[in-house]
Amino acid sequence: MTEATYTGALDLAAGAFLLTAVLIVWRRELSAIVRLLAWQGAALAVLPIIEGIYQREPAPIVVGVVVLLLRAVVLPILLARAVGTEDQERRESTPLVNTTASLLITAGLTVLAYAVTQPIIALDRSPTTRALPAVFAVILIAVFVMVSRRRALSQAVGFLMLDNSITATAFLITAGVPLIVELGASLDVLFAVFVLGLLTSHMRVAFGGTDLDQLRELRD
Amino acid sequence: MAAALQVVAVLAGAPLVMGGMRQVRARLEGRAGGGIGQPYRDLRKLLRKQQITPQGTTVVFALAPAVAAGSTLLIAAIVPLIALGSPLDSAADLFGVVGLLFLGTVALTLAALDTGTAFGGMGSSREITIAALVEPTILLAVFALSIPAHSANLAAIVSAAMQNPGQVFSPGSVLAFVALVIVTLAETGRLPVDNPSTHLEVTMIHPAMVLEYAGPKLAVVEWASGMRLTVLLALLANLFLPWGVAATDPSALGVLLGLAAITVKVAVLASVLAAGEVFIAKLRLFRVPELLAGSFLLALLAVTASSFLATTTQ
Amino acid sequence: MGILLLVPILAPLAAAALAAVLGWRRLSAWVTILAALSVLITAAVLGFGIESGVRFGVGDLLRVDSLGVTMLLVIGTVGTLATWASIGYIDAELAHRHTDQRGAHLYGVLLPVFLAAMALAVLANNIGVMWAAIEATTVATAFLVGHRRTRGALEASWKYVVICSVGIALAFLGTVLLYFASLHAGASSGQALDLDVLLSRAARLDPDVTRLAAGLLLLGYGAKVGLVPFHTWVADAQSQAPAPVSALMSGVLEAVAFCTLLRVKSVVDLSLGTGFLRTGLLTVGLLTLLVAASMLVVQKDFKRMLAYSSMENMGLIAIAASAGTRLAIAAILLHVLAHGIGKSLVFLAAGQLQAAHDSTAIRDVTGVLTRSRLIGASFAVGLAVLVGLPPFAMFASELSISRALAGAHLAWALGAALPLMVIAFAALVRHGTRMLLGPPDASSPAIAVPRSIAAALLTAVILSVALGMTAGPLTDLFHTAATQLGASH
Repeated sequence: MTEATYTGALDLAAGAFLLTAVLIVWRRELSAIVRLLAWQGAALAVLPIIEGIYQREPAPIVVGVVVLLLRAVVLPILLARAVGTEDQERRESTPLVNTTASLLITAGLTVLAYAVTQPIIALDRSPTTRALPAVFAVILIAVFVMVSRRRALSQAVGFLMLDNSITATAFLITAGVPLIVELGASLDVLFAVFVLGLLTSHMRVAFGGTDLDQLRELRD
Repeated sequence: MAAALQVVAVLAGAPLVMGGMRQVRARLEGRAGGGIGQPYRDLRKLLRKQQITPQGTTVVFALAPAVAAGSTLLIAAIVPLIALGSPLDSAADLFGVVGLLFLGTVALTLAALDTGTAFGGMGSSREITIAALVEPTILLAVFALSIPAHSANLAAIVSAAMQNPGQVFSPGSVLAFVALVIVTLAETGRLPVDNPSTHLEVTMIHPAMVLEYAGPKLAVVEWASGMRLTVLLALLANLFLPWGVAATDPSALGVLLGLAAITVKVAVLASVLAAGEVFIAKLRLFRVPELLAGSFLLALLAVTASSFLATTTQ
Repeated sequence: MGILLLVPILAPLAAAALAAVLGWRRLSAWVTILAALSVLITAAVLGFGIESGVRFGVGDLLRVDSLGVTMLLVIGTVGTLATWASIGYIDAELAHRHTDQRGAHLYGVLLPVFLAAMALAVLANNIGVMWAAIEATTVATAFLVGHRRTRGALEASWKYVVICSVGIALAFLGTVLLYFASLHAGASSGQALDLDVLLSRAARLDPDVTRLAAGLLLLGYGAKVGLVPFHTWVADAQSQAPAPVSALMSGVLEAVAFCTLLRVKSVVDLSLGTGFLRTGLLTVGLLTLLVAASMLVVQKDFKRMLAYSSMENMGLIAIAASAGTRLAIAAILLHVLAHGIGKSLVFLAAGQLQAAHDSTAIRDVTGVLTRSRLIGASFAVGLAVLVGLPPFAMFASELSISRALAGAHLAWALGAALPLMVIAFAALVRHGTRMLLGPPDASSPAIAVPRSIAAALLTAVILSVALGMTAGPLTDLFHTAATQLGASH
């Protein structure tokens, strides 16, 4: 793989990663959002695989395959099972911020990410670090999705996006964190999604739905 | 010479593009359709009719069709459709083209307001809303395209794309293409933003504005909107797939080749567009801003992506 | 000696495994108490030999210094009290049908897992592992918070998991950035996140990236400490969780997260100087104090009141940490220990009040002191500890914090914090006296106190008084911890 193809492939994967995040902001169908999340997981998994092919090392490729299994298959399936069977559960209810404003805010966040990552790029001018702003933007977008959505499942998707993007950041700037940390982090995320899924089903029993606006019992 | 040919080709080809698109749609929907030449017959019919001007309208109403058609023809003259290096090359700036496009839009909206009818006002307010959302997107997408070429000059962008064909598939370029397709649809009043063949006044945007025109003036307005679509499709094709565009000072053969290439490209794009329209419904008006905000975002991402690539290759 | 470091992690895990096999039984409950006690004993044993410096265990995966010993002491003490009280708590819940055998089983497994995760967080050498352990506490406590499965409990656990996970994700991003900076400072990839490696290379970390990382780590771990801006889970989770779990979350978990912040601070200060985190800690500390004090004044729910009191104390120690001197760090550690024991007292007592009245509204509860001497006295002693009355230890620690702030030329911060603390003090005393002394209502239900809870409460009262009399050998431990964190005089 030549340097140019390598850079191009990295850019394309990072771009696809960002694009899925933008589409998640755009779409309101919960099932579509979960499918997009799976694509995002795939784009994330491609990053270490490209790295491995370019460096001719097997380890990153193995990591990539594991990431692919976890984030593009297992976690989306866990989430998809949590999507309600009732009709009213399949769509995001009117979000707190309408779609147009959300998209414009996303645009602003992308620019912000570009500004924030400058010191990191200044320290290391490799092609991987250059693709960082795209991934960093997803971190900000994920936080935005979490605060602006009202369905429990959308918040869980936001959390997973956040986690995807932080993992992608780790791949891009440090070629992945040490194995023990990666293992711990993946386990935690798996359990967290599991917990959120279970809580969603408990909430459906207790509240008759997963609209987070109903969470108004506790206040001062 | 090439520039003159471009103007003539657009002038003559525009009804053909309209007719072709209608025919593709009709066939896909299982209708016989009016035939590809129907728009020519419509235009001939309208041009023969008596000129009627609504009471109380001013010179704005009278001049608007001419301004719309003239601005579009000017665009056709300066952009590199068949060959590079038009006599107005120094003015063939993407920003200039955007300005000219907007000039045509504004002329028609003012004319619609001039009639003082309810539908005219409604149509122009909607048109301006959309235009206000479209302009920033076009400017951003243009900016993204001009980063690799280091120039906003259309000829420079096209020739840069010709020299470096791989660039077309870079993320920045792909995003800018998608954004430009969406705004082209909005700018030319196609589905899903506006329905060009609607007869339902409440959902109209562009048709509502020209409701008061009749006879030859209506013919000019229709013709202008057809040309607008043709020019934009051709420009879109050449910006991203500049194959076959003749070089500066082309030979007759080069010009002919260029003409053939652009005809094929526009025909393909128009057919794809028409086929796509069969499968989509018009968006509710208040969801149109969502679509345009999305395309704005894509254009912004295109700019960001292009600037990464530009810095990498340096 | 290295193997000793594994005890605080493995003993609770073994207890969890036993509880998983046996279900909710006396035997597994007692083994869990023993596991918590073993954490305490390990801390004591380690504490006696710690003067020689830092110890490593299991290769260099685990690392213990005086700060680690102190935190193990807190985990062990409060853990023992909480697991002890859990017997009475779960029995009562089963008797009142608030939970079933499955719920009790889950509780019996998750509680020791929670303890093990906290022990790992204070013992890990790698700050990435530390992060994973802190996140594991979130996962382990999610179902503990929602144990009652009421709407309120579910809401609280959802908010808790979401807010803490987001916060902790930001901390992970900070950790990744620190790793990046450490790699560029020449560390090898396997060790770049180890505390000792980071400390030795701190001066060569890139300042801009470190600044970004430090900001994210402060925000992220701040979420778990209950600092502004991710503080909103505190009152919900601690008011809905079972009383022993509330005691652990308020008294230990927040302190453990803060301990992580202190470790990060020691690295960042070496790289950026003390100015950056001082500003950050002062800002979030003062804001947290402000929020806590104002919420305390208008509070109508006694468990939420206790939660806001936790926030108040965390805000205070964040301000103290900004001073960063040896005196300040030693005062923080004493404060944390005293707060842990005091919070166990009030939360366990509050749990019995809630069980008796089936309500957590302050207005529903009056005349506790005349109705149940033990609960009333425990609640009173706990409140006295928390508001910092002499002779209890928090009086001494708050005095030391004031002196440390004045000594570090932060008298203005002291001036800003004092009025807020006075407000919080007044609010706590007002609500407390109303609950304890008010005229007893004839229709008030009897307050039952199971034996295990009574024993835990008595122990906690004795510990509070003893700690107030003298910190004994602990004073040396705290000062060594401060020195090891690189605090100035």
